[in-house]
Amino acid sequence: MSTAFAFPYFYNYPPYFTLQPVKETRDKQVALWCSLILSYCQHTKTFILDTQADSQLFVNNSINRKLNSEARIAILDELVAQGRAEWLDKGKTQCLILWKRVDEWAAVLMDFVRTYGLSGSVMTLDELTGGDDVRGTELFGAHREVVVRALRLLETQGKLSTFKGATPEEVGVKFT
Amino acid sequence: MRRGPGIAGLQHAARTKEQYKLTGAEVKKNTLQAMHEQLSSFRTHLEEFARKHRADIRRDPAFRAAFHSMCANIGVDPLASNKSLWASALGFGDYYYELGVQVVEACLASRPLNGGLMELGALLRAVNRRRGAAGEPASEDDVVRAIKKLAVLGGGWDLLVLGGRCFVRSVPGELDTDRTRVLEMAAGGQAGGQQGGGGGRGFTSVGEVVAVTGWPASRAEGVLQALMREGIAWVDDGAPDGVRLYWFPCLGPGVAQQSTT
Repeated sequence: MSTAFAFPYFYNYPPYFTLQPVKETRDKQVALWCSLILSYCQHTKTFILDTQADSQLFVNNSINRKLNSEARIAILDELVAQGRAEWLDKGKTQCLILWKRVDEWAAVLMDFVRTYGLSGSVMTLDELTGGDDVRGTELFGAHREVVVRALRLLETQGKLSTFKGATPEEVGVKFT
Repeated sequence: MRRGPGIAGLQHAARTKEQYKLTGAEVKKNTLQAMHEQLSSFRTHLEEFARKHRADIRRDPAFRAAFHSMCANIGVDPLASNKSLWASALGFGDYYYELGVQVVEACLASRPLNGGLMELGALLRAVNRRRGAAGEPASEDDVVRAIKKLAVLGGGWDLLVLGGRCFVRSVPGELDTDRTRVLEMAAGGQAGGQQGGGGGRGFTSVGEVVAVTGWPASRAEGVLQALMREGIAWVDDGAPDGVRLYWFPCLGPGVAQQSTT
């Protein structure tokens, strides 16, 4: 059971929930929010943020404030520009948060393969994120979106090959 | 001594006056000489004292403040020159130079958050964090001295009091009376800003400024907008009644813990 996330002081300071009109102020504000989003998502193993949903990140009931849609999108756009997030839809409602970068996830995968001597083995995408073999590792509970991207990267590096299964869940991976 | 009659008497008087003048000058010269010698002796003793107690002076802020007082009393400024005997005896030049750099760093780092206006206590904490556990902690008195030295370099260093608390300004440009008035209000220095905890709430609105100052709304709005453009005020459009609030981060994030309804 993970410990409760400790929010930074600015999360309890009302003006931080209004996108500031002055550029220097706004830049700093957005930077702080980006940091918070990455830490929060890593701590809670959150992979997708829905800009239209009122999550604990965007809403602070104790001070009666929440980030409006424009602010949420502006902050996430900055994360995307930094390569730490990707929009999954054109309407900017679903944002994939890369609190570990794709290459970092790839390293986790390769570490897993090495540790368990899986060269030459075959696993499905489902097994890679939820099977008994990955229980207790960082891969457990990883969102398929990040794992798929990591697999793509590793495939281009010749470290594995993927092949389609009967269903998307059954996408297979063969480690070289 | 008798004043004789006639020219001889006058000449005699003139000579006497001249003699007195010379003697007076002689006495004055001797007195000044004595004073110089005494001061010089003071200085030497003070320098010896400084050398002997260097470690204590550096380590103990209260002792250090008392030492400064003692120096001021005899017109000695141990910070006057980096190359002076003082600097080498005490290493003071280095100490305040280092502190000055830390003050500048702390202010620059927080400028995007507070517009270059920072409470002295908050600055002191930031500086001591930079000095780390191994460093000699600085006191408010030390920081104030370092800032006064920085002020000589230009760049807008200033100390001001708002709502009874001391603030450091690290950007050029004076805060005009209108802006200072509004800040004082938000800091709790005037009626209308007092709520809970004895201090101001740390925020205000055009309406509140108008109510307290009697200014027309346009003037109040102008001042708040100007403070916002300087980065001293942050806007908050999330209040339940939809009224735009202006918050002042330099007055402390702790104020936000109070109810905002």
